[in-house]
Amino acid sequence: MLKPHLTRDSAEQYILGALSPEASAALEAHTLECEPCARLLQEEAVLSEQLQEVAQSFPREDRVIRPARWHVRRAAAGAVGAALAAAASLALVLLPGGRAPHPSGVAGRATTTAALELEMGAPRAIVVACPDLATQDSCMQAAEERGLLVQYPWGTGEVPRYEARTGLPEGALSARHPVSL
Amino acid sequence: MSAAVQGLRMTLRMPREAEEPVEAEVARQGDEDTLARRALAGDRAAWDALVARHHRRVVVSLLARGVRVDRAHELAQETWARLIQQQQRGLLTELRLPNLALTQAAFLAADDARRSRRESISGAVEELPERQHPVDPSVSAERRLLSEEQLSRAHAALAQVSPSARTVFLLACDGQELPHAEVASRVGLSVQRVRQILCEVRKKLRSALEEETHA
Repeated sequence: MLKPHLTRDSAEQYILGALSPEASAALEAHTLECEPCARLLQEEAVLSEQLQEVAQSFPREDRVIRPARWHVRRAAAGAVGAALAAAASLALVLLPGGRAPHPSGVAGRATTTAALELEMGAPRAIVVACPDLATQDSCMQAAEERGLLVQYPWGTGEVPRYEARTGLPEGALSARHPVSL
Repeated sequence: MSAAVQGLRMTLRMPREAEEPVEAEVARQGDEDTLARRALAGDRAAWDALVARHHRRVVVSLLARGVRVDRAHELAQETWARLIQQQQRGLLTELRLPNLALTQAAFLAADDARRSRRESISGAVEELPERQHPVDPSVSAERRLLSEEQLSRAHAALAQVSPSARTVFLLACDGQELPHAEVASRVGLSVQRVRQILCEVRKKLRSALEEETHA
């Protein structure tokens, strides 16, 4: 039985899974007999794999959002844990734990919560990174006056830290010479 | 106290529709995670759902390796069988789909090719074709992978596509294997339209990728 040759469109539809079961079965049967059509189908499959690669490496828009007054907001973090969890997929929010909550009244918390909520909703925040501890305060103030968000060095993993470190930890045994135990 | 805060949070959030996709995302992500966890615990229904979602991608990856269609389906079935077997033996500690299935399928395909070559040549080792031209598997793998330049070209082409089409494309192809119906419901289009958009984007990216190889 002679079956029609594949077209690019039909191969594409097959790869996308848009063909009906009968049509895709017929197409598969045809590629088993027809070498050029099998090659065409392979090309489409390769293209589809490449498109996956393209999609996965496509730079997404900057999704880092940090509240401006982080140390105050962090106090309310426990109360709005659910809100943060909901936002965590949108924003990379790092919560350094292990600090006691900031003592503040209910009203204060409520307002910070409201502010936090509003701020989370701001799309495409401009993120300012203050590079070091020495200029952090002035940098933060200048940025806040301009209405920007401030990213604190201790709140993130991306800001480079320069730590002096000698190679071997103290007390490590050298591998170069025999060591008497 | 926390109840008051919670209440405030809810009243604040209610009027904002912009939040909804985020929550849907969280729910779906949670869904995926629980599916993987249930599958790791040996839940057949969860396995079925995962197989239904990722089977096509596995078959396509095998097709891209030059496996025949019927063999690709068999190998994909075997891939899932092996994964389930490994899970039942307690050898799977985590389940990252589709990458785990793709790796397993690639292994099976390579194994299959090796075996069929060995069987087709019954004579001595000297008669093997790779005696003269050693087969380097990295060559074909390299051809499949995109060069840096091709990638940047494709990204540029993708940046010129309309934002909604780009969203559809990224949703459908970001490796999570969302079914087209799900993509359609998320962006508020029909499944037909989603597929149409995918084909259009595909054509543009194809020409972008090919342009580079001819140059």
